[in-house]
Amino acid sequence: MIVVDNLVKQYGGFTAVNGVSLEVRPGEIHGFLGPNGAGKTTTLRIIAGLLKPTSGRVLVNGHDVAAEPERAKASLGYIPDRPFIYEKLTAGEFLRFHAGLYGLDGDGVTERVHEMLDLFELRRWEDELVETFSHGMKQRLVMCAAFLHRPRAVAVDEPMVGLDPRGARLIKDVFRRMSDRGVAILMSTHTLEVAQEMCQRLSIILKGKIIAQGTVDDVRQLAGGADDHLTSVFLRLTGGSALQELDEAV
Amino acid sequence: MNSAFTYLLLPSLWSSRNRATRRERGDLTRAALFGAMGVGVFTVLFFGAAWITWQLSGYEELGEYLLRLGLSWIFMTFLAFLTFSGIVTALSTFFLSDDLRLLLAAPIAARRLFYARFARTVAQSSWMVVVFLTPVLLGVGVIRSAPATFYVTAALTIVPFAVIPVAVGTACTLLLVNVFPARRARDLLMLMGFLFVASIVILLRMIRPERLLRAESLPDLTGFFSALQSPLTPLMPSFWAGELLFASLKGGWDALHAGALWSTACACCVALRVADERWHFSGYSRSQEAPKARFARFHGIDAAARILPFSAVRRQLLVKDVKIFLRDVSQWSQLLLLLALVLVYLYNFRVLDLGRIPYVSGFVKNVYAFVNLGMAGFVMATVAVRFVFPMVSAEGRAFWLIRNSPVSMHDFLWSKFWTGLIPVLLLTETLTIAANELLGVDPFLKAVAAVAIVFLSFALVGLATGLGARYPRFTADNPTEVAGSYGGVAFMTVAVLLVVAVIVLVAWPSTTYLFYRMRDWRVPTVRLVVMGVCFVAAAVLSLATWLSGMRSGVRALDAMSN
Repeated sequence: MIVVDNLVKQYGGFTAVNGVSLEVRPGEIHGFLGPNGAGKTTTLRIIAGLLKPTSGRVLVNGHDVAAEPERAKASLGYIPDRPFIYEKLTAGEFLRFHAGLYGLDGDGVTERVHEMLDLFELRRWEDELVETFSHGMKQRLVMCAAFLHRPRAVAVDEPMVGLDPRGARLIKDVFRRMSDRGVAILMSTHTLEVAQEMCQRLSIILKGKIIAQGTVDDVRQLAGGADDHLTSVFLRLTGGSALQELDEAV
Repeated sequence: MNSAFTYLLLPSLWSSRNRATRRERGDLTRAALFGAMGVGVFTVLFFGAAWITWQLSGYEELGEYLLRLGLSWIFMTFLAFLTFSGIVTALSTFFLSDDLRLLLAAPIAARRLFYARFARTVAQSSWMVVVFLTPVLLGVGVIRSAPATFYVTAALTIVPFAVIPVAVGTACTLLLVNVFPARRARDLLMLMGFLFVASIVILLRMIRPERLLRAESLPDLTGFFSALQSPLTPLMPSFWAGELLFASLKGGWDALHAGALWSTACACCVALRVADERWHFSGYSRSQEAPKARFARFHGIDAAARILPFSAVRRQLLVKDVKIFLRDVSQWSQLLLLLALVLVYLYNFRVLDLGRIPYVSGFVKNVYAFVNLGMAGFVMATVAVRFVFPMVSAEGRAFWLIRNSPVSMHDFLWSKFWTGLIPVLLLTETLTIAANELLGVDPFLKAVAAVAIVFLSFALVGLATGLGARYPRFTADNPTEVAGSYGGVAFMTVAVLLVVAVIVLVAWPSTTYLFYRMRDWRVPTVRLVVMGVCFVAAAVLSLATWLSGMRSGVRALDAMSN
C-alpha cells in the first residue's frame, strides 16, 4: 500500500509538487497521468526515497519513508524512468548484487534470479554484459530487479517507453499478475490506452496539483464527457486546445 | 557478508574483472604503453630517491636531518593534493555518481553507504600518492638498509595519512553541496578550481624554492635550515608521518606520532560519518533538483561569430561548440587545473635565477629554450588529447543531427579544427614566449621556438581532430573516457614522436647557427644547405601530419555516412 499525504516539493521559488495526496491499495494498479513536467517523476522519486519533500508524508506499507527509510524501501520496488545499471556487469551479476542490497542471501537467490529472468524472457542473456543490451532488454532487466525481492508495493515511472509490442504485452501481464497477488502498483504513464486498459483508478496531475482522481469513469464524468475516449478526456483536463494551434501552425 | 559495507564495492570489482577478461581492440597496446610508462616512472623515482639518500648519507648528522625534513616535505606536498582530490572525488562518489540512484532506492543503512562511499573516495583520491610513494620509500629503505618493520610502518602510515585529508575534503564537499542552491554544480566546481589554483600559489609562496638556491645569501646555516623547516609544523599529519617513518628507518618506533596519526584518522572518520548521516540526504536531494538553470547566454559569441568570414554552417557549428564548451562544468574545472599547471610552469622560470649558479652560461640558457619547446609541445599534446580529440565524440548521440543535415563532413571537421586550433595556439605560444622571455634566451631562438609552435599547433590539432573522427566514442560518458581510448593513446604516441622529431630537426641547425655566430665565423655553404633542409623538413613534417590527419578524419566520417 502506498499513501501520499499532502506532498509538497519546492525548487527554490518553483513548486513542482503542490499538495499531492493519493492512495494505492493492495492489489490496485493506480495510473498516474499528466503532461510533461507536471510533477509525476518528482512525486515518484520522493516515494522511492530519492528526493526530500519540502513537506508532506509518504507511507509505504505503513512505513514512513522519511522516518523509517530502510523498512519503507525494503517493501517497495522502484522502476525509474532512466534506470541505472552497471554496464560492465552481466545480467546475472547485476541481479545477484541487487538481491544482496535487499538482504536476500543463500541458495534461494540464484533460483529467484532465474525465475525472474525466465519471467522477463532474459534467461539467455544471463551471462552477457549489460552494455550489449538493447533499451527494451535493459528495461526488462530493471523490472526483474524491482520484483526480485517480492515487494508489496511498486512505483513505476513510464514502464512502456522503448518496449516493442511483445515486451509491452509482457510487462502488462506481469503487472496484472502482481496486482492479483495483492501488490499495490503506482504507474506513471503517457500511454493512455495502457492506463485505460490496466488501471483501476487514476490520478491526473497538472502543474504539481491533482486535478482529477477516481476510476476511469469518474474521471470521464469530471471532464464532462461520459462516452469519450481517455485521450480526449485527458486533453480536455490538461489544456489540449494547444493542439488546434499546433495544427494551424503546421 | 551482504550487510558489510564492502558488499557495496563489489560492482566496481566485478566490473574491473569483466573488463579485464573481455578485451577490446587496442587494450593490449594501451596496457603495454601505460605499463612501460609506469615501469619507467617507477624506475626513475626509485633510483632518484636512492641516489639522494646515498648522497645525504655522506653528510652524517646533517644528512640525517635533511632526510628527516625531506620525508616531512614529501608528506606535506601530498597533504594539499589529497585534500583537493578528496573534495573533487567526494562530489562524484557521494553526490553525482549515477549508481547512487540505485543504491539510495535500496534499503541500505546510511552508515553502510557512507563507509562504502568513503572507502571508494579514499582509494580514488590517494592511489596516485601510493604509486608515487612506493618507489620513493623503497629507494630510501634499500640505501639505508632499513629493517622490514620500515616497510610495514610505511603501509601503516600511508593509510591514516590518506584518510585525514580526504575526510577533510569530503567534509568540505558535504558543506558546499548543502550550502549552495541546488544544481549549481558549475559554480561549485568553479569555486573548487579557484581554490585549487589558490592553494597551488599559496603552497609555492610557502615553499619559496628559490631560497634553496640562495643558501649562501642567508645570514648563516641556522637561517638556511629554519627556512627549510618553516612550512613544517608539528601539528600537521605530514609532520607526524615524516617523523614516524624516520624513526622506523632507524629501527625505532615513534608511538606518539603513530598514535596521533591513527587517532586523528579515526576521529575524522567518526565525525564525518555523523555529519554524513545528518546532511548527506539533504545534499543529495538538492543535487537532484533542477530549478531553472542559471546559465550565461554568451550573446557576445553570436556577435563575434557574425563578424567572422565564415559560411552560415561553419559559423553555427563554431557558436554551438564554443557555447557548449563554456557551459560544460567538467571542461571548465579542467581548464582551471591546466591554468594552475601553466602558472606553476611559468613561476618556475621566474624563481629559477640561473645567473646565480656559476656553471650556467648563456649556452645552457639556450639549451633550456629547447627544453621549453619540448615542454610546450607536451602541454600541447595533453591539451589536444583532452580537449580537441574528443570534439567529434562530444557530438554524442546528437551526431545524427549533423549527419542528416546538408553539411558536408569536410565542413564539419574543419570547423572542429579551427575551434580547437585558436585556443591551443594562443595557450602554447603565450607559454613559450613568456618562458623564453623569463629565461632570457637568444632572440634568434625565441623566433625559432615561436615559429615551431605555430607549425606544431597545426600538426597536433589537425592530428587530434582527424584521429578523433577516425576513432570516435559517441557513447562515452565524458571526454576523459574518450581521451583514454585506443585512438587517444595512438594520438599521444604519434604526438610525442612528432614533438621529439621537430625539436631534433630545429635544434641542430639553430645551435649550429649560434655556434658560428658567437665566434663570428661564416657558416660553410654545405652546412647552411643542410640546416635549411632541416628547417624545411620540420615544416613539411608538421604540414603533412596536419593535412593527412584531417584527410583521414574526413574520409572516416564520410565512410560512416555511407
